[in-house]
Amino acid sequence: MNNTIEGRYFDGLSSASKQISILFNDSKNQLCLQTEDGDSLIWYLSDLQVESYDNLLEIRNKNYLDAILKVDDKDFARKFYQAMKKKKAIDIHTRLLSLGFSKISIVAVCVLVSICLMYLYILPPIAENSAALLPESFDNHIGNMVIETILEESKIDVEKTKHLKQFAAELNFGNTKPLEFTVVKSSEVNAFALPNGQIVIYTAILDEMKSYDQLVALLSHEASHVYHRHSIKILSRNLAGYMMISLLFSDVNGIMSLLAKNAQQLHSLSYSREFEEEADEQGLKTLINNNVNPYGMVKLFEQLEKKSKFSVPKIISSHPLTKDRKENMKKIILESDYVVRNDNKLTAIFESLKN
Amino acid sequence: MEKQIVETATKTQNYSLEFFGKGSEYFGIMIVNWLLTIITLGLYYPWARAKKLRYIYGQTALNNERFHFSGTGKEMFLGFLKVILLYIVTVFVSALITFVVGPIVGGLFLYLVILAAIPIAVHGSLRYKMSRTSYRSIRLGYRGNRNELVKNFFKWIFFTIITLGIYGSWLAMNLRRFTHRHIRYGDIEFSNDSDGFDWFLLNLKGYFLTIITLGIYMFWWQRDIFNYYWNNLKMKKGEQNITCSSIATGGSFFELLIGNLAIVVFTLGLGLPWAYIRTQKFVCDNVKMEGNINFDKIQQTEEEYTDALGEDAMDFLDIEVS
Repeated sequence: MNNTIEGRYFDGLSSASKQISILFNDSKNQLCLQTEDGDSLIWYLSDLQVESYDNLLEIRNKNYLDAILKVDDKDFARKFYQAMKKKKAIDIHTRLLSLGFSKISIVAVCVLVSICLMYLYILPPIAENSAALLPESFDNHIGNMVIETILEESKIDVEKTKHLKQFAAELNFGNTKPLEFTVVKSSEVNAFALPNGQIVIYTAILDEMKSYDQLVALLSHEASHVYHRHSIKILSRNLAGYMMISLLFSDVNGIMSLLAKNAQQLHSLSYSREFEEEADEQGLKTLINNNVNPYGMVKLFEQLEKKSKFSVPKIISSHPLTKDRKENMKKIILESDYVVRNDNKLTAIFESLKN
Repeated sequence: MEKQIVETATKTQNYSLEFFGKGSEYFGIMIVNWLLTIITLGLYYPWARAKKLRYIYGQTALNNERFHFSGTGKEMFLGFLKVILLYIVTVFVSALITFVVGPIVGGLFLYLVILAAIPIAVHGSLRYKMSRTSYRSIRLGYRGNRNELVKNFFKWIFFTIITLGIYGSWLAMNLRRFTHRHIRYGDIEFSNDSDGFDWFLLNLKGYFLTIITLGIYMFWWQRDIFNYYWNNLKMKKGEQNITCSSIATGGSFFELLIGNLAIVVFTLGLGLPWAYIRTQKFVCDNVKMEGNINFDKIQQTEEEYTDALGEDAMDFLDIEVS
């Protein structure tokens, strides 16, 4: 059988196209080429590289720089592709592409789903654990950076800050890091802790409180965030998440700007539910250790919840599921042994804070 | 016999530029690229880029013969590594200078290196991309002198700074003229007659009319830019030549850009490959070539070139040269 077909040949020296006849010998894995002038060439499959455009093949040979063999023949295209595939000369990209649109789509969707699962369930614990490797000085640096910008924008209540410091001095928070307390004048019901140990309380939240145990509860809760380095953990979780997303879109820029942006908003970062519960539970322990009524924590929640009927205070909206957290507190209190001693000094300081 | 040669030399040729790419095919390539890039944690990126370029070049045809991009992922990967290395060295040296001499000198050094990196990247990228582009087995090539470009670039930047940016129009066109005039396709030389003043007026007019018409003139401004780019491109081979021109209209730009916007928005970005293909098709449909150079008779003139540095320096700095 005569398998000779016609093609066009560009020799890489001039742009002229020459007619050429091609004999495909698949047992020897070679193409025998013969030009009109009678010159003949042998191209070995292992030297070849192919681009296919439907039935049109453009074949190039690494030993014949720039030369192109163009063949437009359906039968040849199929046979040649099979032979190249057998020689493993077809790269992974082309082979995947030849699987067809629907199969690739299925694979792509599977990969996407597994990335989402990783993003939701595997990444956060890894990121949080790696946050533990960051030195304490990092916490301080970030915290100092944020406190400067916040205190530039808002007014410190000097008198109340003095009282709050006295109040906190009466308590033992079990913290390893020295804590700083500041009262800021604001109509916003909010309080937050920064990783450098700075705890900021807004005047509006003080106004909501009825007894000193609520304030102890709030301070203990915020101190626990500092103790567990929650904001640094959230920061590294967000960062890891962003890195993964940027990988998805092959974009590596902007990680630094994200770090800066997140750091700026550190005081309004929303903690995850586990972090809030962790802070609640440890805060409760602090209350019990200081012989303060643990129901102060429950009362604090109730007070803030009541407030939320009129407007949603930030501290509630960013601290999710207050009701569940309240029930959880009640359950733990029932299981605990505790002694409550009414502290006149704390009461007195609390009264002056309320003025 | 002699008469015949003269005849072929001046005979007007027909040129047709076509783009055969399909959105669905390009989408498939992008999906596979994406998959392999994810699985390799981003390492496949240069190979993905090579695949993309190879498809786009291969689907572009002049007189029914396709272009070819022969660059490989490996070349671009090595180029990327070199860029990273140079970056580290630069940062290290500037830190050393800061430490030994002082922060002002160290900072100045860093700025100078970054500034010099732009023309060097333009040079390298063009050299690489042109050397990897071929048509009918003949390579393109860029023969500009790097040091000359760097020297000119510093001069243009200096004028731009002292004119508070106004010279920027001249900078852009000078750069375009310089680079285009050093491009070769076999024994064909490219030339470009762009002028900074024309470019300045074009953009001034576009800017103000766009504001006055509340943005509607934007499409006509785009048309003017596109037409200016192409109308100034010429090719020359001895006595023979080709002039390029664009037939794009403001209306067709409106259709292209609004259509692309709709495709991308309504598919949540998944339609991006279709938008890209539409744009390529638009370019090929609107650029016309006239002249008497016969593309059957071009001689290979460019030497082989094996440095992929520039290509990735460009990716790194995110500058596009067209």
